[in-house]
Amino acid sequence: MRSRKRFIVFTFMYTAIIIWMSFSIQMLFASRPGAKPWIMDVDETVAIISLILSAVISISLSVFYAWIITNYRRTEIATLKCIGYTNNNVRIIIVGELIWVTMFSFLIVFELLIHIVAFSGYFHYTADSIVDFSPIIRFPPLLITIGLFLIAQVGGILIAYRRVLRLRPIIALRIHK
Amino acid sequence: MKEIMIKCEGVHKEFRLRGNIIRALINVNLEIEAGEFIMIQGPTGCGKTTLLNVMSGLDLPDEGSVILDGEDIARANEDRLSNIRRQKIGFVFQDFNLVDNLTAIENVEALLWPTVLRTKEIEDRAIAALRAVDVLERKDHYPSDLSGGERQRVGMARAIIHQPRVLFADEPTGNLDPASGTNVLELLKKLNRDLGTTMIVVTHDSSLVKYGDRVVKMDRGRIVR
Repeated sequence: MRSRKRFIVFTFMYTAIIIWMSFSIQMLFASRPGAKPWIMDVDETVAIISLILSAVISISLSVFYAWIITNYRRTEIATLKCIGYTNNNVRIIIVGELIWVTMFSFLIVFELLIHIVAFSGYFHYTADSIVDFSPIIRFPPLLITIGLFLIAQVGGILIAYRRVLRLRPIIALRIHK
Repeated sequence: MKEIMIKCEGVHKEFRLRGNIIRALINVNLEIEAGEFIMIQGPTGCGKTTLLNVMSGLDLPDEGSVILDGEDIARANEDRLSNIRRQKIGFVFQDFNLVDNLTAIENVEALLWPTVLRTKEIEDRAIAALRAVDVLERKDHYPSDLSGGERQRVGMARAIIHQPRVLFADEPTGNLDPASGTNVLELLKKLNRDLGTTMIVVTHDSSLVKYGDRVVKMDRGRIVR
C-alpha cells in the first residue's frame, strides 16, 4: 500500500514538472523572432531560466525517487537476491519503475492537453471563424520534453545501479531482527 | 555411500562490532548428506544463522571452504552465486519476506520470472507448489490478507517452486503461534520425504529438534555435537 501511495505522489510530481518543462520549451519557441503567435509574450531569458530550473528539478526528483525505491524496498530487493535474482534482474525492476512513472505522467499530461484542446475548441468555435485551438502547450515541446525527461532519469538510474549493487542479500535475513 | 550435499571444512568467520571482534564461527567442520533433514540448534548468538548464511552463499567465510553439491561456493563470484541460489537453493525466512503488492501466486512465480520458462509453465509450477503446501485456495490473496501460517506456507511454496536440492530455513517458526509452527515443520518434513530435498533448519527452540534426522548443536561459534 505504501509503494502505491509513493507511486501516486511521484506520478503527480512528475506530471507537474513535465507540464512546467513543456511550458518552458513552448515559451522558448514563442520568444524567438518570427515565431507563431502564442497565448502571451515572453522574454527569452525567462524561458531559458525556467527550462534550466525545470531540468535541474527533474534530475533531482529522479535521483530522489531512485533513492527512495532502493531504500524503502531494501528487504524486497535483498529477498529477490536471496532467491536468485542477479544484480541485473533487480536493476531492470527498479529502472522499469522509474520509466513507468515517467511514461504514466506523460499519459496524464497528454490526456490533459487533449481536454484543453477540446475545451478551447468548444468555446472558441463560431460558424464564421477559423477555429484556433491555441493550446497552452503544442506538440513539439511535449515531444522534446519526453526526450529531456528520459535523459533526466539517467541520474536516478545511476543511483539505483550503485545502490542495488551494494545491497547484500543477507539483509533479507537480518533486517527485522 | 550417500552423496554429500554440503561440506564445510575449517570454516572461520569473524565480525567487527563497535571495535570488538566477534568470532561467530570457529573451525566448523560439517558434512550433510543429500536428502538429510538437519536441525541446527543452539542459544541466541551461538553462530547458527551465520553458519546457515555461509552454507547458503549469502556470506563468505574468512577461512575454510564450503562445498555445495560439488562446487566451492566460498570462491564463486556474485553472479555465479545468484545462479546457484536460483537453481539449487530455496530459502524460508522467519519474517516470510513476501512482496506486499504481489498476490500469493505472484510471490511464488516471482522466483521464475527472470528465467526462460513460459508464463503458462511458471503458473503451473506455482499452482503445484501452492498445492504441495496446502494453500492453493488462497492463491489470489495478498500477503496482508493471509495469516502468519499461510504466509509462511506461501514462502515455502516460493522456496520449492524451482525444485531446489537444498532448502534453508532460518527460524521458520519464529513468528508463528505453536500450532502453526508445528504445521510448518510437519510440512517441511513432508517435503523432505516426498521431494528428497535436503533440509537445513535453524532454530533456538529445543522442542522442535525432534523433526530432524540429525541435530547439530552449536555453542559460541563451535559445533558441540
